[in-house]
Amino acid sequence: MLTIDAKNVDFYYSEFHALKNINLEVEKNKVVALIGPSGCGKSTFLRLLNRMNDLIDGTRMTGSVLIEGKDIYAPGIRVDELRKEVGMVFQKPNPFPKSIFENVAYGLRVNGISDKNFIEERVVQSIKSAALWDEVKDKLNKSAFALSGGQQQRLCIARTLAISPKVVLMDEPASALDPISTAKIEELIYELKKDYTIMIVTHNMQQASRVSDKTAYFYLGEMIEYDDTIKIFTNPKELSTQNYITGRFG
Amino acid sequence: MRHLEQEINSLRQDIIEMWRMTISQVYNAGEAILSFDKDLAMQVSMRERKIDAFELKIDSECENIIALHQPVAIDLRLVLAVLKINSNLERIADFAYGISRILLANPSLILDAELITDSKLNSMIQQVNKMLAQGLEAFETEKPQIAAAIFSEDYQVDEINANVSRKIAEYIKKNPERAYECLQLMGVFRKLERIGDHCSNIAEEIFFFTDAKILKHTDKKL
Repeated sequence: MLTIDAKNVDFYYSEFHALKNINLEVEKNKVVALIGPSGCGKSTFLRLLNRMNDLIDGTRMTGSVLIEGKDIYAPGIRVDELRKEVGMVFQKPNPFPKSIFENVAYGLRVNGISDKNFIEERVVQSIKSAALWDEVKDKLNKSAFALSGGQQQRLCIARTLAISPKVVLMDEPASALDPISTAKIEELIYELKKDYTIMIVTHNMQQASRVSDKTAYFYLGEMIEYDDTIKIFTNPKELSTQNYITGRFG
Repeated sequence: MRHLEQEINSLRQDIIEMWRMTISQVYNAGEAILSFDKDLAMQVSMRERKIDAFELKIDSECENIIALHQPVAIDLRLVLAVLKINSNLERIADFAYGISRILLANPSLILDAELITDSKLNSMIQQVNKMLAQGLEAFETEKPQIAAAIFSEDYQVDEINANVSRKIAEYIKKNPERAYECLQLMGVFRKLERIGDHCSNIAEEIFFFTDAKILKHTDKKL
């Protein structure tokens, strides 16, 4: 079964037709990168996958998005339940004004989990999975704001992992970070795909090539090309894709 | 381990495998011609396609690493060096195949033992086998000083080759009825000499990889 299966997706911001007939399938444990110039629709598409666009007035979607076979836009779907399955990491690290430990435990607590041992085990495991453990193990009770930007972003990833999502969405997760922190996030993505299916929006084409198995190129709301990353970056089918990845346009 | 490191390690293992296959091809082709062993020549001939396929695999790995990982510094030099070493190894294996074909295309070929000794065919074969092994050792251990020895050995190979024409010409004058087999033998020497040249090219690439030194078109004084 496909982990993500978007079929004939059209999306509108009022009259503006932001996504045009997008069909995109993602297998389990794959990393998919969405690339394209600003305004091409890649972030809009990403946000459709955990219904973040629902929060914007005047938007409208047609088509369907299935996550592990379940239509996430079907009547009766609870968005809070969906977001447990489809976690999201944003461009700018957004830790809560709480301790490192409590940041990661937060998602578990709001989901009604109160078993202290379970929470502790899951927090430690998530921080380890986010490749942050060695750096924070001695200061779990310190404020998350004391961490560097790169560490904060990995903490946000740990927070997302704590609730055991099936899919992790990342919207330019390294764009606010220095090169070393960026490299750590990229290595982390490579490691995480063993356990999760990941979709990442990035403006950095080299990042897309380094971390992803498949790449989708969006332009003016259309998905121009979707293929294995190695194919996209060595011999794309479409001239438009080639022009974009070689920096000739966009 | 970083993703790129995994890819680089895998590439290293593959080029080492290509090297070992090529060494085996040259060794067997040499043994086949020295002992007129047609079965061994056939074995060399049969393995040629496997080497060609492996060359393509390594080329593709290099292309992928450059396209997906944008290697820099020593990683970039390794990938560029492997690309060229790969191409040189494939040419060397082609020459081994060519030697085996000489034997297979002339099943009744008999080379005069005295001429073989006099022309130093055995020494030439041993020399190129040694150069190939030294190249692999230099690459695996990242010790360019081992590769440096290849340059002087290539001069020795060139010297044997330079003397062969005269020796064979003299032999033909005395034994004109054996001119055809002498021409075949010349062909073997030419191929061995080219193998030596490719070993020298590989040694240059090892210096490029380890020390970022460009020795191409220089007198190789290190």
